[in-house]
Amino acid sequence: MTSGIVDVLLVEDNPDDAELTIRTLRKHHLANALHHVCDGEEALRYLTGPEAHSPLPGLVILDLKLPKVDGFDVLRALRADPRTKSIPVVVMTSSREDKDLAKCYELGTNSYVVKPIEFGEFAEAVARLGLYWMLTNSVPR
Amino acid sequence: MKRRVLVVDDSLTIRGDLEETLTGAGFEVTAVGTLAEARRCLAIGGNDLVVLDVLLPDGDGVDFLGEIRALPGAPVPVILLSTEAEVKDRIRGLRTGADDYVGKPYDRDWLVSRARELTRGPLEKTPSPLVLVIDDSPTVLEGLRATLTEAGYEVTTAETGEAGLRLASDARPTAVIVDSGLPGIDGATVIRRMRQDAALRRLPVMLLTASEGQGFEVTALDAGADAYVRKEDGMPVVLAKLGAMLRASGAPADMSEPASLGSPKRVLAVDDSETYLQVLAERLRSEGYEVALARSGAAALELLEVQPVDCVLLDMLMPEMSGTEACRAIKKNPAWRDIPLIMLTALDEREAMIEGINAGADDYITKTADFEVLRARLRAQLRRKQFEDENRHIREELGRREKEAAEERAARALAETRAALMAELENKNQELEAFSYSVSHDLRAPLRAIDGFCAALQEDCSDRLDDAGKGYLARVRKAAGRMGRLIDDLLAFSRVGRFGMCLSSVDMEGLARASVVELREQNPSSALEFSVGSLQRVNGDSSLLTQVFQNLLANAVKYSSGRSPARIGVTCEDKPDEAVFSVRDNGVGFDPQYAHKLFGVFQRLHRSDEFEGTGVGLALVKRIVERHGGRVWAEGAPGDGAAFHFSIPKKAAHP
Repeated sequence: MTSGIVDVLLVEDNPDDAELTIRTLRKHHLANALHHVCDGEEALRYLTGPEAHSPLPGLVILDLKLPKVDGFDVLRALRADPRTKSIPVVVMTSSREDKDLAKCYELGTNSYVVKPIEFGEFAEAVARLGLYWMLTNSVPR
Repeated sequence: MKRRVLVVDDSLTIRGDLEETLTGAGFEVTAVGTLAEARRCLAIGGNDLVVLDVLLPDGDGVDFLGEIRALPGAPVPVILLSTEAEVKDRIRGLRTGADDYVGKPYDRDWLVSRARELTRGPLEKTPSPLVLVIDDSPTVLEGLRATLTEAGYEVTTAETGEAGLRLASDARPTAVIVDSGLPGIDGATVIRRMRQDAALRRLPVMLLTASEGQGFEVTALDAGADAYVRKEDGMPVVLAKLGAMLRASGAPADMSEPASLGSPKRVLAVDDSETYLQVLAERLRSEGYEVALARSGAAALELLEVQPVDCVLLDMLMPEMSGTEACRAIKKNPAWRDIPLIMLTALDEREAMIEGINAGADDYITKTADFEVLRARLRAQLRRKQFEDENRHIREELGRREKEAAEERAARALAETRAALMAELENKNQELEAFSYSVSHDLRAPLRAIDGFCAALQEDCSDRLDDAGKGYLARVRKAAGRMGRLIDDLLAFSRVGRFGMCLSSVDMEGLARASVVELREQNPSSALEFSVGSLQRVNGDSSLLTQVFQNLLANAVKYSSGRSPARIGVTCEDKPDEAVFSVRDNGVGFDPQYAHKLFGVFQRLHRSDEFEGTGVGLALVKRIVERHGGRVWAEGAPGDGAAFHFSIPKKAAHP
């Protein structure tokens, strides 16, 4: 794996959602050091295990419905690993289901955002969470 | 354990007699002469039966009976004992709750047998019934002893009729099997003697014989045998009939079960002549009958209301209500129709007999006839009634079993069907849930892409688009937004049915006010005047009821947007069974002829270029309210505002 500072890991299998998210973050100058993976397995490889990227990213934006390993399992694995357990994770999903929301908080997500359909709202939500988690919030290093 | 009887009578003679009689019958007796003493004894408790005189020096027995019946705990059986001076006393006593009413002079055996019946506890039933077998042949005796012992009976034997009668009195068997051909007194005579003995009268007896022919059977049954078996029929028949005989006499507490033919019978004698009544009563009592007397037809009818009797002897000629009239009245009443009724008259005329029989009497006797004739006819009527009762009982029992079996089959079929339906429903619900879940995920993503890339086009490439192109893009984005709202609404709609309700006491006024605040924020520029009245709390699901107010109020705001100011009011009417909530506006209203369409999914009464909407909101309201067991309805007129009402019942909603 390549080294170097990475601010955000985006775990998103839908290329449209991925591109719209990246575009929004870029507009707010938040995507300079962004890495994008398309499934849960890749995400886990990037964050944990022998080939993990170093240093670890400052924020993970995580979709729930992912090929191979789903978002819940990624979240569970991150929280079980002492090296990744304090990385801020924002779940960004289409699901409004209460049980998904409850499960994510149980597994230790820092935030849960339902992707708005309307792009204006979507862009605003992405921008706000990027600003907050990457610039405002502090985490133990 | 001995049963305790409290005797209350002011006559020393009667107290002494009852004490002796009941003690001899195995009871423990306390005898007192006043109500004051009786009260003290009752307060101590432990009495299984009270025998109570009606006329006492310090009060009225029937009033005292009222006191006893008002006591807490298990009721003590009470037999009222009184001179038959006034039939009204008997009626009053039985109405007050006496278990029986015995007239003075009383029949000792009757009293003992009633005392035994009323104090019989479930514990006293012997686990293995004792059968007394009377036969002069040692071979037969041993054969029966072996068979009966094997079938679980205790057996005791006697070789002569005399010895058998003695043993019956001493050993108190549950049933008797007696051979017809015995040395000394024969079997039929043994039975007849037993029937005359008050203590053995109720004992089921089977006559066993080697004789052939119908005539003998009639003699046997006439003597009072409960069953009749030929020796050649074999042991299985003896066992079967013995079992049937014991079953028939086994449950005297159950009034629907006919008592044995030998059980004590109560006769109601009705005559306007006091002298004749007394003579008749004395003779009947000497025969072992309990006698109730009535001096008029009206008194007889009143007595029948409170005390069942086994036979009625009715004088034909009486002042006021005649015997014929009384007879008609008795035979017209379904509860009394089956009581054998014998007409008595001084007239020895054919017409009188015909009149009596036509009125429904079962038999007819002239008063001048010998008492022996009356006795025989009375017995014949009682026997006929007995057999009828038994037959009816068997028919009813069969019918009841058939009905039970049919009901059981039906219940099983119903349960199976219900289980299958529940499983299917459960299955369908799971499918629906999976469907809704994928709708929620998979339909949104492409919409987001459509809207997102249109937005990207607008932002990044607007210099290369002309006005028409920009217009098309705006329309694509608008349509995508509409579809997004539709998906959200449909999901909300399906969620109402999918999840269980979380019931609590809901502050409806709070919910309405919160929705109002939200709407003001969403429509900052509109001139909106809200008024929320005092709203009843209801038992319901708070998040679902929130959606009801959100939808109704948003609707009101939408359809009154042209008014300045738009006036929207929420009120509540508290009814006995439900609370009715109303949301009124001064908007465009609707044509009442389409009111029924308002609450259907995708039903809209306005063109979408007038008012935007998905057509799901009111359907959602209806579904939520109906899940709470309530109703929704609307009133309105074109251009004249609308009122939407919904009711929430006060009883608990379905969870």
